[in-house]
Amino acid sequence: MDIIESKTWVEWLITIAKFGFCFVPVLYILLLIPMERRGAGFMQDRQGPNRSYIKVPFFGKVRLFGYVQNMCDGTKLFFKEMFAPTGSKKFLYYVAPAIPFAIVFLSPCVIPWFGPLVFEWGGKVVRIAGPIVDSEVGILLLFGFSSLSAYGAVLAGLSSRSKYSYLGSLRTTAMTISYEVCQGLSMMGLLVLAGSFSLTDIVSWQENHVWGIVAQPVAFFCFLIATIAETGRAPFDVAEGEPELVAGYHTEYGAMQFGLFYMGEYSHICISSLLVATLFLGGYSVPFVTTETIQAHMGGSLAILCWVLAFLALAFLHMIYRYSRKLAASKQSNKMEILREYTLYKTIGWVAAAAFIAAGVCSWMFYNPQITMIDGVAVNTLGAALGTALIHLLVLLVKSVFFCWVWIWVRWTLPRFRYDHIMHLGWKIILNIAILNLVVTAVVAKLMGGN
Amino acid sequence: MLALIYFVVLAAIAVVAALGVLFSKHPLYGGLSLVLTMLSLAGIYGLIGSPFIGVVQIMVYAGAIMMLLVFVISVLNAAKDSKTPMFDGVSIFVVIAALALAGLVGFALVLSPMGFDVTTLRGSVEMTSKNLFDTSKTGPGYFVLFEVLGLLLLSSMGAAVLMAKKRLSSEVSEEDHKEDK
Repeated sequence: MDIIESKTWVEWLITIAKFGFCFVPVLYILLLIPMERRGAGFMQDRQGPNRSYIKVPFFGKVRLFGYVQNMCDGTKLFFKEMFAPTGSKKFLYYVAPAIPFAIVFLSPCVIPWFGPLVFEWGGKVVRIAGPIVDSEVGILLLFGFSSLSAYGAVLAGLSSRSKYSYLGSLRTTAMTISYEVCQGLSMMGLLVLAGSFSLTDIVSWQENHVWGIVAQPVAFFCFLIATIAETGRAPFDVAEGEPELVAGYHTEYGAMQFGLFYMGEYSHICISSLLVATLFLGGYSVPFVTTETIQAHMGGSLAILCWVLAFLALAFLHMIYRYSRKLAASKQSNKMEILREYTLYKTIGWVAAAAFIAAGVCSWMFYNPQITMIDGVAVNTLGAALGTALIHLLVLLVKSVFFCWVWIWVRWTLPRFRYDHIMHLGWKIILNIAILNLVVTAVVAKLMGGN
Repeated sequence: MLALIYFVVLAAIAVVAALGVLFSKHPLYGGLSLVLTMLSLAGIYGLIGSPFIGVVQIMVYAGAIMMLLVFVISVLNAAKDSKTPMFDGVSIFVVIAALALAGLVGFALVLSPMGFDVTTLRGSVEMTSKNLFDTSKTGPGYFVLFEVLGLLLLSSMGAAVLMAKKRLSSEVSEEDHKEDK
């Protein structure tokens, strides 16, 4: 067991703690569902669900901007009865919703959440890679998992013995296979430039050169469209088109089985947006600043991070104060109740802003870790390495949340495409553009003297 | 040691799923067992130092080809297929061929040195690309075969499209004839 003994306990702790990233897509579901519902409301100039509340002793009815509504819906789904229609294939029927949800836990393994940690511990230089599994075929693994998750929809349609489910699953199969080709080919240009299948290498290439969206703008749009189609959401949601197929492949599902499909879809959005951010928006890299600069001015970087968070808290406070001023002037009958609720948000906002500003000042004044050079490699202390990882992680999350918003934006802006239009778009337009892009990229890269 | 445990688990899953392909009544279950076999095979490939081959196995075979196969099984009349007998006159030849193949593979396995070494890389991205696209004179020369295979697949795809188109257009023309009449 010399593998175990060759590592220090800190290294083991970080390696095991990295497995916590498997739960990021599940946490994104909590973010995405309110974002989708209130976002849809915003797009359609209405409020969205915001009436459910929890009674809190001092502040009255706390609604958390409609967040409580999702807790209610989740609770309802959990406590409903699970059933299977007569004549369905019971085993496949119960297994199908679990497949996309299980793959959600596998996919985050290859995404680099932060740059490689290099720090000194116990007289040794320790290096820990960003992704949970630092594989040289990372992106291919991700595509493999994404293609496997379509089995959930297919099996659900085949096993539930309903014409609507069946047609939905047929459409899913066809669409998944055709758009997977587009997705794979459109990112190949970037892989040619980076010269690697490993996501860590792709991100470090972008850090050293330019972001993928600048180097491959055509590929970015092809990839985005193909990825949106791959998640099976509007405008590509022919597999569950309500006017045609009731609800598509999950027509016969109820309770938490339906919930699993729902959560699988949102986690797929999370993984796809993380992938787009990693491939085309520089992943964890901070724009215009190199990792070395951040590490050289660790205290300052952490201070800037804290002040950005403090600014966000102040913006939130500004919003709340504007709402309450408007509300106080209005003649709403329940305005006292809402104002009382807002005092909770005001308290939290002020505490958070003060705490962030204080933390920023502290790290600016007192935190200046030294960097030692060992064998020509800059080696940090543990604290500085973890601070860099934190900044990288937050940057990646911000980028991916932006793309999650793009998903919602597209869904509530565009009408559903007809099925043959989707196939036409996939096979005759996007695929050709992607192949052309690949050829041009390869020729240009060869002429410029790349790999 | 750890790798050996993984290998035994994956191999057991692969063998059981392969038996499932043989003995399942419904073709849909057979297809799904085949997916399971391919997934565990991919795991074994990764385990013995060829992650690239393993991932391609997942992407191409489990993800795309088996998906198409399940598609075909579901579109064709699956209810009729479940009533076909498991063995008939033709299966004598199939059984003999399978036994002969198994004997051959077993013979080769017994002759070859059995080393379970997980540390060497056998099929990484770099090695695969070097093997396939080494155009130098001293190289293995697989690139010609590779290109020929690509052409073959392309031509077969073109032929399939042509055949499908012909049938479609003939139907259309028949309908046109009917309308004319």
